[in-house]
Amino acid sequence: MLIGPISSGFTVGVTRADCITSGAYGANVSDSPKPSLLDLALGFMNIGLTSVGGAGGPLRYVIVKQRRWLSEGQFAELYGIAQALPGATAVNYAVMLSDRFAGPLGPLAALAGLIIPSLLLAIALAGIASQLAAVNARFAAAEIGVTAAVAGIFVSNGIRLIAQIWRGTPDVRVAWRAARLAISALGVVLVAGLHMFIPFAMLVLISLSMIVETRLRGVANEA
Amino acid sequence: MAAQAHILLLLAWHFALLSLFAVGGGVSMLIPQLHQEFVLQYRLLDERSFTELLAVSQAAPGPNFLLIPLIGFRVASWPGAAVSMVAFLVFPVTITFFIGRLLHQHENEWIARFRRGFRPVTGGLWIASGIVVAIATDHTLVPIALTIGIAVLALAIDISPLWWCVAAGVVGAVLA
Repeated sequence: MLIGPISSGFTVGVTRADCITSGAYGANVSDSPKPSLLDLALGFMNIGLTSVGGAGGPLRYVIVKQRRWLSEGQFAELYGIAQALPGATAVNYAVMLSDRFAGPLGPLAALAGLIIPSLLLAIALAGIASQLAAVNARFAAAEIGVTAAVAGIFVSNGIRLIAQIWRGTPDVRVAWRAARLAISALGVVLVAGLHMFIPFAMLVLISLSMIVETRLRGVANEA
Repeated sequence: MAAQAHILLLLAWHFALLSLFAVGGGVSMLIPQLHQEFVLQYRLLDERSFTELLAVSQAAPGPNFLLIPLIGFRVASWPGAAVSMVAFLVFPVTITFFIGRLLHQHENEWIARFRRGFRPVTGGLWIASGIVVAIATDHTLVPIALTIGIAVLALAIDISPLWWCVAAGVVGAVLA
C-alpha cells in the first residue's frame, strides 16, 4: 500500500543540511540528496492516500521514517507551525517543507500529489455511497451509523484534548486551569447551543484564551 | 447559467472566508458553520447529503478537508469541486508560504504561545461539532446509542477512527 522510496537521480551537491539552515534545524540532518519535484509529489500522494481521520500519523511516517527527509525533532517543529497557521495542517506542512526543498514549484507538486488522487477517490466513493443508500435500506442505515460514530469521535477528541490541557500543567493554580476549561465550555455553548457564527465565536474565544495565557505567564514569572 | 455562476460565487466566497478560521483543529471545527449555511440557510444540501459527505470524508482515505470539495462537487459538479478546493486553499497556502519563509529565520516563541492559546478553543469546538452532527443525524435509538457509546469507548481505547466508523457501519446495517 505504501509506495517505496524512489531515488531522485538528481544530485547537485546540495544536501538537506543546506536547505534547512536555521539554528533549530542545523543538527541531525542526514546527507542524502534533496527530493525532486517528483519525489515530493509521490511522497505526499502516499500521505494523502494513507490518511484516515487525520494526516498527522502518515505525515510523520512518510517524512521521517520512510523517506528520511527530516529528523523527528525537525518534523515536530514544522508540524507545530503548520497547525498554528490557518488551513489544513497537511496542506500547510506540504507547502513549507516542499518550498524549503525545491523552491516555489515544490508546493505545487506536493499539493497536487496530496490532494488530487485522494479527492478523485473521495468523489467516486461519495457517488457510490449516495446511489447505494438510495436503493438499499441497510446501506443507508450503515451510513447513518458511520455519521453517528463521527459525532462520537469528535466529542471524544475534544474531551481528550481538554483533559490533556488540564493534566499538562499540574504546577499551574487550579483557578487558571479552570479558566481554560471555561473557555472550552463557552465554545460549546456559543457554537452548539447558540449557533453563533463560528469565525466570530473563535475571535471571542481566542482573545479570552490569549488573555489567560499571557496572565499565566506573568504569574509564572513572579513565582 | 446565471444560477450556476451564482452558486459557484457563493461557494468561493464562503470557503475562502472559512479557510482563514480552520486553525488548530482543521475542518472538524467548522462543521457547525457548514451545516448552518449549506443545509439550513441556503438549502443547497439536505440533511442526508450533508451527513453522507461527512461520513465519506471521515472514513475514506485522504485529508479530512476533502469534505470541502466534496460539498462543492455535490452542489455544482466538477466546477463546484474545483472552485471549492481553490477557494479553500488560496489564502492559507499564500499565508503559509510567506510565513514559513519568515519563521525559517526566527525564533518561534509567539507561535508557541498562540498554539497554547488555541488548544482550549479547539477542544470546545470539536465537542460542539460532535453535538451538531449528532443532532442532525441521530433521530432513532441506534445512532444515539452509537454516538454516546463511541464517545466513551474512543476515550478509553485510542485506535484509528476508521475502526469506529467500520464498527458503527456494521452495527447500523445489522440492526436496520
